[in-house]
Amino acid sequence: MKTIDIVRRAARSLRSAKTRTILTSLAIAVGAFTITVSLAVGEGARQYADNLINSNVNPKALFIVKDKTLFEGGAQRAAITEYNPDAAQTAAGATIVSMTQKDVDALSARSDIESVVPTYNPVVRYMTFDGSSKKYSADVSTYNDSILSESAYGSLPPQNQQLGDTDAVVPEAFVDTLIKAGVIKEGADLVGKKVTLTAVQATVTPTTDQISAAFATGGQAAVEDLVKPQTKDFTFTIRAVSQKSSSALTGVTAVQIAPNAARAISEFITAGTNEYQKYLGVTALVKGDTDPQKVKEALNNAGYYTQTAKDLQGLIFTVVNTLQGIVLGFGIIALIASVFGIINTQYIRVLERTREIGLMKALGMRGRSVSRLFQFEAAWIGFLGGIIGAAIAVVLGVTLNPWVTSVLGLSEGTKLLIFQPLPIAGMIIVLIFIAMLAGWFPARKAAKLDPIEALGRSSIVIV
Amino acid sequence: MIEIKNVTKTYGKKGSTFQALKDVSLTIPDGASVAIVGKSGSGKSTLMHAMSGLDRPEAGEVIIDGVDILKLKKKAVDTFRSEKIGFIFQSFFVQANESCYDNVSLPLEISNSKASQRKVRIEEALATVDLSDKLKQKARNLSGGQKQRLAIARAIVNKPSIIFADEPTGNLDSTTGEKVEDLLFSLNKKEGSTLIIVTHDTDLARKCDVQVYIKDGQIEQTVGLAASTAGKEHK
Repeated sequence: MKTIDIVRRAARSLRSAKTRTILTSLAIAVGAFTITVSLAVGEGARQYADNLINSNVNPKALFIVKDKTLFEGGAQRAAITEYNPDAAQTAAGATIVSMTQKDVDALSARSDIESVVPTYNPVVRYMTFDGSSKKYSADVSTYNDSILSESAYGSLPPQNQQLGDTDAVVPEAFVDTLIKAGVIKEGADLVGKKVTLTAVQATVTPTTDQISAAFATGGQAAVEDLVKPQTKDFTFTIRAVSQKSSSALTGVTAVQIAPNAARAISEFITAGTNEYQKYLGVTALVKGDTDPQKVKEALNNAGYYTQTAKDLQGLIFTVVNTLQGIVLGFGIIALIASVFGIINTQYIRVLERTREIGLMKALGMRGRSVSRLFQFEAAWIGFLGGIIGAAIAVVLGVTLNPWVTSVLGLSEGTKLLIFQPLPIAGMIIVLIFIAMLAGWFPARKAAKLDPIEALGRSSIVIV
Repeated sequence: MIEIKNVTKTYGKKGSTFQALKDVSLTIPDGASVAIVGKSGSGKSTLMHAMSGLDRPEAGEVIIDGVDILKLKKKAVDTFRSEKIGFIFQSFFVQANESCYDNVSLPLEISNSKASQRKVRIEEALATVDLSDKLKQKARNLSGGQKQRLAIARAIVNKPSIIFADEPTGNLDSTTGEKVEDLLFSLNKKEGSTLIIVTHDTDLARKCDVQVYIKDGQIEQTVGLAASTAGKEHK
């Protein structure tokens, strides 16, 4: 019997039992729906992450540290470690090995590295704006010239060109607060305005010799001066107000300044402490067409730990893949449940149609063809379930995409559910195969039926 | 020609066996109409199953057109049935939820006949049984007589050389039954196919060229054309 004839007979037979067919396929549809959504979420998240990384990280950038635990979240850190004068304390109180100026110089001298910028830690106590005495708390970060940001007011330097040493970029988020405070009338007023960052030097406990020397020269007042924290004002001219961007990872609420200025602040506040010219890590750009991966390997051999832009991408993708895997797992569990539904339904169908099977076999239909008839019925159920599940998922996803985007506060046009026809088609094909596999047991029973017995053995008496 | 030689069929396992056919021999010439008559449990259906290749007796030969079908492999027997045999059953066995067209199409599909020829053959077969107007009707909408005529169309669509009819009028009233009988005999005469009717209805049996009376798994008596009878006769 020709396959096409069997497929057609299978479809006709299913049509004559519509309710049962649809109910059985709905069980598969649940699994198909979950899998389609997980595929869409995974793709959406990956594209979003890709977009995020491309607009925040220069593909040529390397992040280099000396302490491996920085990349490992400290999981393998020993409870007690040997004292190291180059070690700094993280906020969590753990010691980490810092990069020193010597490391920075050594990296700068390498032929495969274009530039090295240490991660400065320019902590300031407060900032003040020209024309107002109000003090505001401030986060300060180094301006990243390797990505192209957009400005709301004023103009940013072109890509790969740094700010001037006295330039600053403030985020758009400042505008509302400053208008309310009366510092400015509108956002554009910020451009050209002066902002002063006030940094405080870490207190250094003076030695006995220093105290006696100070006392000898200036008496009690000189000693008080010695232990009084030193403050210093750093004044910048606001060059631009950066625009809010949904795909930006950093710089949302920080004042951005040039690396040189950041170093000045950083070195001022750490002067005299053991954190002076110590850095958690450095950002380096590889030279020209050099493969960042090769530079990474060379640096790792030299005792550093390096992350490339790809590694960062991999890190985010790992998270996405894990989440997708969990959703996918639920879909697969639903599918396993539906497999038993198919087996059960098909067994009942074989029982119901015993006479029909007997007739077909009496007319000379091969057992193999009978088996395929029932397997194709199961395949139709799988196909139907896949189509129903995928269709519901696509319709729901396309309808809910704008809502999801607005709830998560993503920029307009960002889609978190991306449906691709090829994986969905692939899933439906897999579902058809799973359904056929499930239909194999009942189909085999049908194929093995004896035509005489199946047609009713009224004339045969067994004693 | 159908030649049955010393066929024995035993049912059941050791200890409780039952011989449905005991050393049966019979010859049926081409184109004859034969009635196999016997009571329930006499072995008449088993004889039909053995002749049609549905059942495999453990001893003897069933030679149809010179080939012993008991020596054929299962696949070859299936092919033999799909090409040379037509079946008509007491309870019709038409697919109620399928159209008349699809019901008649089944044997053609099983015997892998060309799709281009099917339509003509199906329409021809339905015309023969006077069901042309019911082509697209579901079989469930037919009356009992119509259902049996549909079954006849299904049996003849492949132009088989032998048609087996197992109590073809058993589920029909006498008027409808007679029409079905007339149809079967006219086909037998017109197409020249061998018609083998299994029945306990002696009136129907008398209309056949040959009557084979069977009892307790043995042929009791063969009545009809002398030339067409052969083999072991009892009594």
